[in-house]
Amino acid sequence: MPPVTRGFRRRRRRTVDPARIPPGQYAVEDFPVLSAGPTPHTSVEDWSLTIDGAVDAAATWTWDELLALPDETFTVDIHCVTKWSKFDTAWTGVSVDTLLEAVDTGGDYLTAWCDGGYTTNLALEDVTDGRAWVVHTFGGEPLEAEHGGPVRLLVPHLYLWKSAKWLRGLTLTLDDEPGFWEAAGYHNRGDPWREQRYWDD
Amino acid sequence: MREETALTRTLALDTGEWRGHLAGQHVDVRLTAEDGYQAQRSYSIASAPESPHLELTVERVEEGEVSEWFTEEAHPGDQFELRGPIGGHFTWRVEDGGPLLLVAGGAGLVPLMAMLRHRTARHSEVDARLLLSARRLHEVIYRDELGAFATDPGVEVAIALTREQPSGWQGFDRRIDPAMLVEVGPPAAAAPRIFVCGPTGFVERAADLLVALGHDPRAIRAERFGPSGG
Amino acid sequence: MDDWLDGNAIAGVLVEIFGRDMTTVVRGCPSCGARHEVGAHRLYRGAGLVLRCPSCDDVALRLALADDRRLVTFQGTWSVELPA
Repeated sequence: MPPVTRGFRRRRRRTVDPARIPPGQYAVEDFPVLSAGPTPHTSVEDWSLTIDGAVDAAATWTWDELLALPDETFTVDIHCVTKWSKFDTAWTGVSVDTLLEAVDTGGDYLTAWCDGGYTTNLALEDVTDGRAWVVHTFGGEPLEAEHGGPVRLLVPHLYLWKSAKWLRGLTLTLDDEPGFWEAAGYHNRGDPWREQRYWDD
Repeated sequence: MREETALTRTLALDTGEWRGHLAGQHVDVRLTAEDGYQAQRSYSIASAPESPHLELTVERVEEGEVSEWFTEEAHPGDQFELRGPIGGHFTWRVEDGGPLLLVAGGAGLVPLMAMLRHRTARHSEVDARLLLSARRLHEVIYRDELGAFATDPGVEVAIALTREQPSGWQGFDRRIDPAMLVEVGPPAAAAPRIFVCGPTGFVERAADLLVALGHDPRAIRAERFGPSGG
Repeated sequence: MDDWLDGNAIAGVLVEIFGRDMTTVVRGCPSCGARHEVGAHRLYRGAGLVLRCPSCDDVALRLALADDRRLVTFQGTWSVELPA
């Protein structure tokens, strides 16, 4: 048992309904910026989103084409594997269900890939039935580059490393292919309610 | 313990057997609360290797639970865990030679002060120049000790106060810029060993300016304080 | 502006893993050929930690930091010079 440091205590944090806090998490008011690498700065003119891989034909949207799709504004809680959770975050974007209507696929998995080289893998069932969006607006404002703008993936029921920033494409796959963090010791699925942080959780 | 400024405090530690360190290195400290909660931070060693006690100077960071404990709460006899010394990349020994150019932003002065204290303890005559950027005079750490370098012909201390200057201030009154670096010197042709330390933004700017003035990027060692932690 | 720290920032963790200070170890980057000390690499903080080549941002290592264990994943080919 290490020596107890007299007079030291954790900083008090605002309390939230405990039922909303996954195990091992604490609530924050700010929005920490975490990144595996340098922040890409892609203009909306240069941006596009592609769904390819195990599909009959790839589908691509430019920025304008994305904005022309039906979108939703919604509020969710987000949970980072580094233990912070942020409640009642407001986003606007297009449901992944809407995008997947443009392709026929036999794949059960996908890899999200991004400017800067980041990837993350997801089961199709984790991004369908209203569980995931591609978002371009946060808190009513255009999504900033440091938080993944112009467009990021948002999968709020999983740890935030699955909500890939600087999204450029979803590649459908027949097999599950571990992405950047999954191949480096993080859990393959990442459910915060089952505290699936690391490879052996 | 000493209050260095309203926001910083130096603590002398009783470390039992300390195997020594190099100027510029840091330690990792870990505090444990009664409920088992732990927090860990890194602090540069302020004391010279020749000093009988290991000293850390900690700056209070807004909302920083660890720095708050060090600067407001800590009493002699309190305990925490220490790991180190750590870091071989950002170190200087008298044997490494000079001339030395030290560029500090705020609390980035701490490891550079360890280097100057080491230089003094070894009675070295290596040419050393310190450029310190701080917001206000009362935020300058080790002010008296910096003033005492006026009697050491081998050390030049230049201070830039960027927000507020006292009346009659003779030092710089702006953020570091090329003209200031040229004035403080030494020039790139002298091939100085350069150490830059401070907040990330400050270090980036200083390093870019030094390279633009012709200094070899490989001669510049930098240590950045990240925004998180405190 | 990107928020990265020097490789010095994980010097302590690397000591735990390797038993010695690794910040002066030189890595040859397979992507751009540059050679830099570990302490001069750039440390990014995401879900875990990523150390990147300061010349080209090639990933040098990834570090998963659990409360009670660590996993280091090296990337590319490390050419490491150690004193004899």
